[in-house]
Amino acid sequence: MEFETIRLETEGQRARVILNRAGRGNAINVKMVEELQAAFHRIEDANEVRVVVLAAAGPDFCRGIDLTDFSRERIPDIHGFSRWEKVCRSLERLPAVTIAATDGEVAGGGLQLALACDVRVATSRSFFHFHDVRMGFIPGMGTYRLAKFIGLGRARRMALTGRKVQAEEAQRIGLIDHLCGAGDLESSVAAAIDEFGPIHPEAVELIRRLVDESYENPWEDFLGNFLAAQDRAIRSKDFRDHVARAHEEAGKK
Amino acid sequence: MGAKKDPASRAGGSIFPRVVSIGTANPPTKYTQRELVDLFRCDDPVLTQFFTSSHIDSRHLVLPAPGPDGSIPREDGTVLLEKHRKYSLQVGSEAVLKCLGARGLTPQDVDSMVVVTTTGMLCPSLSALLSAHLGMRRDVQRIDIVGMGCNAGVNGLFTAARFARANPETNVLLLSSEICSAGYVFDMTVRTAVVNSLFGDACSAVLLRADDGMGWRDGPRLLDFESYIVHEAARDMRFDFENGLWSFYLNRDIPYKIGATIEKPVDALLSRHGLKRRDIDHWLVHSGGKKVIDSVKYNLKLTDWDVRHTRSVLRNYGNISSSAVLFSYQELVREVVTREGDLGVVIAMGPGVSLETGLLQW
Repeated sequence: MEFETIRLETEGQRARVILNRAGRGNAINVKMVEELQAAFHRIEDANEVRVVVLAAAGPDFCRGIDLTDFSRERIPDIHGFSRWEKVCRSLERLPAVTIAATDGEVAGGGLQLALACDVRVATSRSFFHFHDVRMGFIPGMGTYRLAKFIGLGRARRMALTGRKVQAEEAQRIGLIDHLCGAGDLESSVAAAIDEFGPIHPEAVELIRRLVDESYENPWEDFLGNFLAAQDRAIRSKDFRDHVARAHEEAGKK
Repeated sequence: MGAKKDPASRAGGSIFPRVVSIGTANPPTKYTQRELVDLFRCDDPVLTQFFTSSHIDSRHLVLPAPGPDGSIPREDGTVLLEKHRKYSLQVGSEAVLKCLGARGLTPQDVDSMVVVTTTGMLCPSLSALLSAHLGMRRDVQRIDIVGMGCNAGVNGLFTAARFARANPETNVLLLSSEICSAGYVFDMTVRTAVVNSLFGDACSAVLLRADDGMGWRDGPRLLDFESYIVHEAARDMRFDFENGLWSFYLNRDIPYKIGATIEKPVDALLSRHGLKRRDIDHWLVHSGGKKVIDSVKYNLKLTDWDVRHTRSVLRNYGNISSSAVLFSYQELVREVVTREGDLGVVIAMGPGVSLETGLLQW
């Protein structure tokens, strides 16, 4: 299946999802929502993918939602927003390390996608904003995720003013993880991936889920979650292999 | 929704039974976990913790009136069995009448019935006593499923579903009757505290009917079932007959053993229909206990939202054995969120160790 609004490039353990509506600043339309969902499902089903890079064609990562997709006459229905959050959630729950690579404008739904990733790498030209408030609507479940990255006070200011946060400030406040020169996005993404070492998808998925849930549960509840997750992790082939190797190495000495 | 969302189209025209009604009932008295600790004069902090940290707020139970010292007197085996008989009939009838009444039906309209229980052995069986008690027709076809434990709600469902499918346009009733306080043996040991801080009393009835004239608004179709039994864990969940009483035993590793196995039947069930877990809109998981729910959640990658009914049933009723999944189903029905084509999976686990799963579609 060929996509129209995105590109999906898979090579061995790496997948690249590229927002591909450069002519419209990669604005998110209904088609893109469908295609992103299909791409993330395809990645999930292809068991071998370990790293997913989310990038964009053209000078801007994503200008946010494509307002021309809404009818001028009718009030839009809410289910589209529900489908969009499902897309963000699919990205957020992938059994692979996810990296957003941004340049230029990162707005609205584009920023929501970046926040759903494990790591954000941005060029110095990147700037981030939830401009939705200026148009009289809500920056999706970005309202749920943003404060967890930058704290409540900063999140309020950012989401309520819709002001632009430049790349340097974004790094300072924890909105992005890596800042690079305009021409160094590729190599910076490669360096960000190298930080990971061997990637065990089961562990990545479980750890990410636990860390994400850490603000939401009291210790007693969280302990049960952890034990259930750890029980799954220690049954995995990856972990059993590591144990076997440790025994072999100990035997050699 | 695409072809993926229409697994039933593969079944070649046969009529799948729908769950067309549900009724539930509980004995009248509800106890908080704190009240029970006091009534049983339990002052051991370790045992008390089983009650207070169980993610259960309250449970319906049938307990004898406190003696002069304010504590609950011991009950012998004869008293406990009579409790099972009396309340299965009383509370079970209430559930059946609610279920039938919601469809404007009476017990006379029931053509066949499946009765599930693990809280007492009766002969004549509960279905026989109940058919007399409710004045059912004398030609009602009955089957009793006794002693299968918490998973038996699903065993009952697939038995009733096959009855209904083989006999289109007949009314097939499934009753789950679990008066767990009829197995209430508490001797101040950890073993009995684990069990007696957990189980509650409940009955639930559903009506199944295979009928071409019915649509998704009448209730979900029961499309398929998949079972899995872990023979190696047969002794991990069991009733022991001790000093003339049935005492239930639960191994503490049970939640993890269930977690390690749960993907097998679920994925077998779904893959047969070309489905993935993400295609499932509604999950109806047995409210076995906090740890079992956690284990299912992390191994099937379900969210708290997916198991919201599982958790609320546990919180409000305790583990009500084979009735739990039907109570969860009722909670889902009350939400009025299901849409045409929605898919659901029901999962229950119990002694065996048995994992029982079923696929539903609205």
